Amino acid sequence: MRSSYFAQDDKLSKKEDSLNLQNNSLAGVGVENGSSVAVKTANGRSPKAMLQSVFREDRFFLVLSVFIGVFSGLAVVCFRFAIGWCRLYLLGSGVVLSRSRLLLAPTLAGLVIAALVIHFFPRTRGSGVNQTKAALFIYNGHIPVRTAIGKFITAALAIGSGQSLGPEDPSLQIGATLASVLGRQMRLSRDRMRLIAPVGAAAGLAAAFNAPISAVLFVIEEVIGRWTAGILGSVVLSAVSSVVVMRWFLGSESLFRIPVVQLQKPSELIAYSVLGVVGGVASVMFSMGIATLRPRCKALPLWTQYFQPALAGLLIGIIAMLGAPQIMGAGYEAMDEAMHGRFTWQFLALLAGLKIVATLLSFVSGTPGGMFAPTLFVGAMLGAAVGGAEHALLPHLNVSPGTYALVGMGVLFAGFLRAPMTSVFMVLEVSGNYSIIVPVIVANTFAYVISRGLQPIAIFDLLTRQDGLELPSMEEQREEGVLHVEDAMRPVNVPVLDGQETVDAALAEAETSAADNLLVRLNPDGWGCVTRLELRALAAEEQGGSSLSSLASSSLASDSTSIGPIPVLHPDHPLEMALRYVDRWPVVPVVSRADFRQLEGVITERDVLERYREFGEG
Amino acid sequence: MLGLLAVLVVIFFTAVTGLSRAYQAQRQSLGSRWFSRGVVDLQARRFDSAITEFRSALLYSRDNYAYQLNLAEALIGLKRTGEASSYLVNLWDRQPEDGLVNLELARIAVQKGQTEQALRYYHNAIYAAWSTDQEDRRRDARLELIDFLLSTNTRAQAQAELIALEENLGDDPTQQERVGDLFLRTQDYEHALGAYRLSLKAERDNGAALAGAGLAAFQLGRYPQAQRYLQTAIAENAGNALIAERLKTTELVLAMDPFRRQISVAQRHKIVVEAFDTAGKRLQACSAARGAALPTATQTSLGNSWAKMKPRMTEGELRRDPDLVEAGMDLVFEIERETSATCGNPVGADEALLLIAKLHEAS
Repeated sequence: MRSSYFAQDDKLSKKEDSLNLQNNSLAGVGVENGSSVAVKTANGRSPKAMLQSVFREDRFFLVLSVFIGVFSGLAVVCFRFAIGWCRLYLLGSGVVLSRSRLLLAPTLAGLVIAALVIHFFPRTRGSGVNQTKAALFIYNGHIPVRTAIGKFITAALAIGSGQSLGPEDPSLQIGATLASVLGRQMRLSRDRMRLIAPVGAAAGLAAAFNAPISAVLFVIEEVIGRWTAGILGSVVLSAVSSVVVMRWFLGSESLFRIPVVQLQKPSELIAYSVLGVVGGVASVMFSMGIATLRPRCKALPLWTQYFQPALAGLLIGIIAMLGAPQIMGAGYEAMDEAMHGRFTWQFLALLAGLKIVATLLSFVSGTPGGMFAPTLFVGAMLGAAVGGAEHALLPHLNVSPGTYALVGMGVLFAGFLRAPMTSVFMVLEVSGNYSIIVPVIVANTFAYVISRGLQPIAIFDLLTRQDGLELPSMEEQREEGVLHVEDAMRPVNVPVLDGQETVDAALAEAETSAADNLLVRLNPDGWGCVTRLELRALAAEEQGGSSLSSLASSSLASDSTSIGPIPVLHPDHPLEMALRYVDRWPVVPVVSRADFRQLEGVITERDVLERYREFGEG
Repeated sequence: MLGLLAVLVVIFFTAVTGLSRAYQAQRQSLGSRWFSRGVVDLQARRFDSAITEFRSALLYSRDNYAYQLNLAEALIGLKRTGEASSYLVNLWDRQPEDGLVNLELARIAVQKGQTEQALRYYHNAIYAAWSTDQEDRRRDARLELIDFLLSTNTRAQAQAELIALEENLGDDPTQQERVGDLFLRTQDYEHALGAYRLSLKAERDNGAALAGAGLAAFQLGRYPQAQRYLQTAIAENAGNALIAERLKTTELVLAMDPFRRQISVAQRHKIVVEAFDTAGKRLQACSAARGAALPTATQTSLGNSWAKMKPRMTEGELRRDPDLVEAGMDLVFEIERETSATCGNPVGADEALLLIAKLHEAS
């Protein structure tokens, strides 16, 4: 019932779109002014149609987004409880952990996790971001419910036992799975189903991060890859509702106590640039470690996969036992302490290095868990280390390690996860202080450029390719060049006739021209196109005395002629817009936006195809 | 369908609420347990253990005010002021009117040499809210501020703070004595003497207050009063070298002052002759001490004046010409001033003469 309702509504919607396109095409403005046509068609409907319009699928989708947010928020709250309990019962309740627990907890938990992943939840490996992208681009939004259950159990066990992974990416995947399940139950159309996983992902990530803006940006930037009004509303609604639920149960405190942010002298930006460079290099090392080790671990015999998480856990336990227990788990407490000047800069640098090693071990072993928290950890430690070193070298500068740690988090986010926009807003949202924006942008730019230069493939794309999938690269999409009409148009090389001219006069001019097609500047505005053959036919039908404009407006021309009006393009229109017209009209005028009667050039199907071919050849 | 979803939301919400209560109760209990252990260790000054325990408590309630404040205190106990400072600044952001937080921040600022910050936090602490014994805590904060001001030689500001403090001090003799000491350090001897006298009203035999009062009276040039206080003080504490030395000087001043009342003319003349001789010896010693360096023009002039007046400076001559007493003592005072400027502070009789000179210069 629901399915047929939406199918009918889809047809109606498509019809409206078609009318809209036609109308806009004739006006020469593409699809920019669509709403007026939609209102006109809705006005003529019956009450039942009006009711159907109110509960159209896109509006229902918005309501559903709120429910997705609520369910995701509840799931993430439970996930946090589960991690807390695992940590408590596996590692103990204090900050000083016994040696036996440090070694045994991650090792034994690793064995259990491996068995669960291999036998029950094979799709729960890794972080979960790529699985959500795969749901969007490959599986039409379908994610099995078992994935959420498996992710919940295995990631809670892994993080709680001290594996160096974070809860954000699993939360993202849990949210996406819940959304997918709800979408299937609601029998949404295929288009909507595809988009529902990112909506859930935003909800899960927002609740885990307690940062709705960053979550929305991340999902748009890294999962969906494009800004569309249709999805943005749903993503925002789900993210906000999940954060509200999370705060209801866990309070509104941020992940760490935010230090007093200080930027005392503009010259400090030099130090932040250094932090950006250091962060960029660290990001590359981190990425290359995964690029090198993950395929090798996957290539090992199957039986070794039972022991890989346990071995990773054992090695992490040994690192912790040797004096760096801070690297275990998500590490938010250690980040908090680093921000508040607990450690020396040398120890902070050591912690950053050890965390990279520990996270590599956990991640490449196939243990389910996220990369966000470790990335933030490494960034915070590197940032505080750079700040501390600067203070040691220049003691007269009153350096705040907390500010450097915050900026460092953004740096690694930009360099390692390659989400530059999210990285800036994440720091702003977490710190709640806009005076930090300049250092963040400066440092992030350095990190991003260095990381992009030394490691051309972004980490999520790398993981996708290692898994044998071919998902669209958001980074490549962002940086992809866009062709415009002006790149393909040619100077006006066809005769341009005035609409006042008679058919006979136009034919006389056409007979002297080598071009088969002639453009007609219609009165009072608009453009038309006519061929020499059409002019001959009109003259033969004794229309030789009629003006071209009158023939265009009154449609007196015979079926074989089509004087106009025809659509026009502007030089800044994307080239793909030209594709809509060039197959129907042999030549399309390109006019100035300031004066529609002023011809800038013309474009034909051949021009467009040749430009695309040249672009494809690089 | 939406109705069903709403029902599901209510069901899950209820379930998670139950789960949340159990979770939060457990965390609260764990946090309280670690905190209690930390407080015990903090009181026993086992700062290392206390820090670990407070950190463990913070695992379960990261924003808990008491946990953070106690952790900061434990960190201060281990002299990890940088780390403590960050916790305190966070707490200050949350409750800028907290007296203890302000006081601890002021102490850290003092250690870092951040005078302006220290003054700001001390003043905040003085006017802040304190959970217990508010007046006492405020007074202690002000006393600490005064100590700090004196250590930075900001005497005028310290004096202003002391006057403000004195108004709200009450009759506690110990506090009055402490305030007297501080006034003495600010060189506000009048207020110092007043504070010591208030202290002595309650405790007549308070040796420290007696000594302080004696020193204050001495500085004010009230030598008879100083003598009384110092004599009583030395009786209470015979081993105090400073008091003994001040008493000796006081007695010399009283004995060598020819202008004091209740002495006979003959005694006055005898004192003047002795003072003249003492000043002459001081001038000679000072010139000799300068060695190869030439005596100053003033010294030469004073030497000539002294030599010219010396034959007339006898008791008989003084009897015949009473104006000579004044002229002779003027020369003595001038010699003592000049020699103390060129040859350093005098001791013994010369010091007494210099003090008498100052006394009569003032009058």
